[in-house]
Amino acid sequence: MTAFTVAPSVRALIRKELREYRHHRMILMTATVLPIVFLLLPIANLALFDPERSIGGVNLAVGQAMFCFFLCPVIIPATMSAFAVIGERDQGTLEPLLTLPLSDSQFLAGKVLAIVGPTTAASFAIYLAYMSVVVAVAQEPVRSAALDWTWPFGFLLLAPVLALFSTLTGMAFSARARDIRVAEHLSGLVLLPAMLPVMLVVTRTIEPSVLSWGAFSAVVAALDFAIWRLALRAFDRERAISTA
Amino acid sequence: MTHAGPAIELDRAGRTFGDRVALRPLDLAIPPGEIFGLLGPNGSGKTTTLRILATLIRPTTGTARILGHDVVTAAMDVRRRVGVMPEKPSLYERLTVRDNLVFWADAHTLPDTRAAIASALAFVGLEARADDRVGQLSKGWRQRVALARAIVHRPRVLLLDEPSSGLDPSAAAAMERMIRALVADGATVLMNTHRLAEAERICDRVAILRHGELLELGTPRQLRARLLGNVVNVELAGPPTLPVRRAVEATPAISDVRWLPGGFACRLEDADRDTPALIAGLVHAEAQIVSVVQAGDLESAYLELMARTAREDELEAAA
Ligand SMILES: Nc1ncnc2c1ncn2[C@@H]1O[C@H](COP(=O)(O)OP(=O)(O)OP(=O)(O)O)[C@@H](O)[C@H]1O
Ligand SMILES: [Mg+2]
Repeated sequence: MTAFTVAPSVRALIRKELREYRHHRMILMTATVLPIVFLLLPIANLALFDPERSIGGVNLAVGQAMFCFFLCPVIIPATMSAFAVIGERDQGTLEPLLTLPLSDSQFLAGKVLAIVGPTTAASFAIYLAYMSVVVAVAQEPVRSAALDWTWPFGFLLLAPVLALFSTLTGMAFSARARDIRVAEHLSGLVLLPAMLPVMLVVTRTIEPSVLSWGAFSAVVAALDFAIWRLALRAFDRERAISTA
Repeated sequence: MTHAGPAIELDRAGRTFGDRVALRPLDLAIPPGEIFGLLGPNGSGKTTTLRILATLIRPTTGTARILGHDVVTAAMDVRRRVGVMPEKPSLYERLTVRDNLVFWADAHTLPDTRAAIASALAFVGLEARADDRVGQLSKGWRQRVALARAIVHRPRVLLLDEPSSGLDPSAAAAMERMIRALVADGATVLMNTHRLAEAERICDRVAILRHGELLELGTPRQLRARLLGNVVNVELAGPPTLPVRRAVEATPAISDVRWLPGGFACRLEDADRDTPALIAGLVHAEAQIVSVVQAGDLESAYLELMARTAREDELEAAA
């Protein structure tokens, strides 16, 4: 994958994408409303929680909250990645875009980073907000269950690779799909299995630990790498402009 | 940095899409500083040629070079050096004019982005609309934005696909002026156009394509002469004196002189070559010359060529 030094032309593409998002109502809604919902749901869930419940019940409630946070980096990129490809195509901007001095991998990196970056940041932000609320108001035993360090550890590790996964698959689908909605639905289907590891941990089928989070992240990261390679190979400038 | 050969070079470059031939192998060399016009009916391969040069599609035969850089093997070098104005304006409509240019300038990693954008905006006369969203602009203004975008990195070679299509006469005239100014500034321009009068005014040379095949190549004058014959119309004040008539008859390579009220028409072997001698003779005989005009224009020449090739096609089909 691209090194951490991002080429100036890639940064230019990222800035352009961010500017466009700001003027796109659907993207704005997705990127603001969804995180707020994903923040309020877990907080409400904890607030309504009966502290007399068993430790299993506590863990389940915390797990449900975590599930919401993990949904954030998976769901938001679906909308944005569809726009990243189909938006260019609908405006007819793909043709001039491809005359810029950017290589295939630079195009893809710019498009992907413009989605993964803000999505991951938003996910971390709402998680941080939730943790602050927990620290400020939550009672035992919910408090210590929610603050258990394996959760932030897992989230920090898994959220970015999940966002990357969601973005790459979303872009792959929108490159083929004619309609933005079809693309969103299709990528929604692929994202369900991506949530499987999270579901396993949340339901305590697998205990949250350095090992389990590490293994899951490694698997998703490997998948990301494979999809990246596939996407690069499938990137076909001529087809991109002739279907435009 | 400076490249000695042609600015734009096609070497048997052709393109097919499956069974369909979009461009037959084409040889073309455009020297630096030239405005070259590609003419031809819809679907004749003009955009295909431009797209090959813009590194958007690969030639299926032959090679093409921009300032010596191969469009396939050195695509990045080509992209850094060309400015492209596609058939449709293709701008980011949600962004402002300025933000569209900011992206282009940044993507080309220019040393001074602000200055580059300011000068591109000033060049196309868009300073006042710089902070309007492109989506709110009329077609004419969008074309200007598209031109500003194509020149923001000061490319040496410009590929313009129908730059004045859909523009009103004064906007089209402004576009013409801007293209001339760019060439005066050292750029080389390859442009597609259906506006033959425009091509005649600004193109140093034109090529006429049909069904992806090169039919004619030359200056607009040469094409006119070749296709319409070398007819020259001379308007005189007052009836011709005997010395004037003699001078006309004595002009080398002249034929078919027809005396008309107020002047005469004649055919020269090569209007470009022979007209000066004709005028010199007339002046020597003290003729009162009002005007000397080569008959027809590029448009008539083009239509003549199309009619001729259509007849040939019919004959071929009949045979
Ligand atoms: N991507 C493509 N796939 C298949 N055929 C194509 C493709 N692009 C162009 N063609 C065909 O190639 C031929 C030349 O097209 P081109 O766009 O170069 O014409 P043009 O001279 O620019 O026409 P116009 O004046 O209408 O713009 C046409 O027959 C067209 O249908
Ligand atoms: Mg065309």
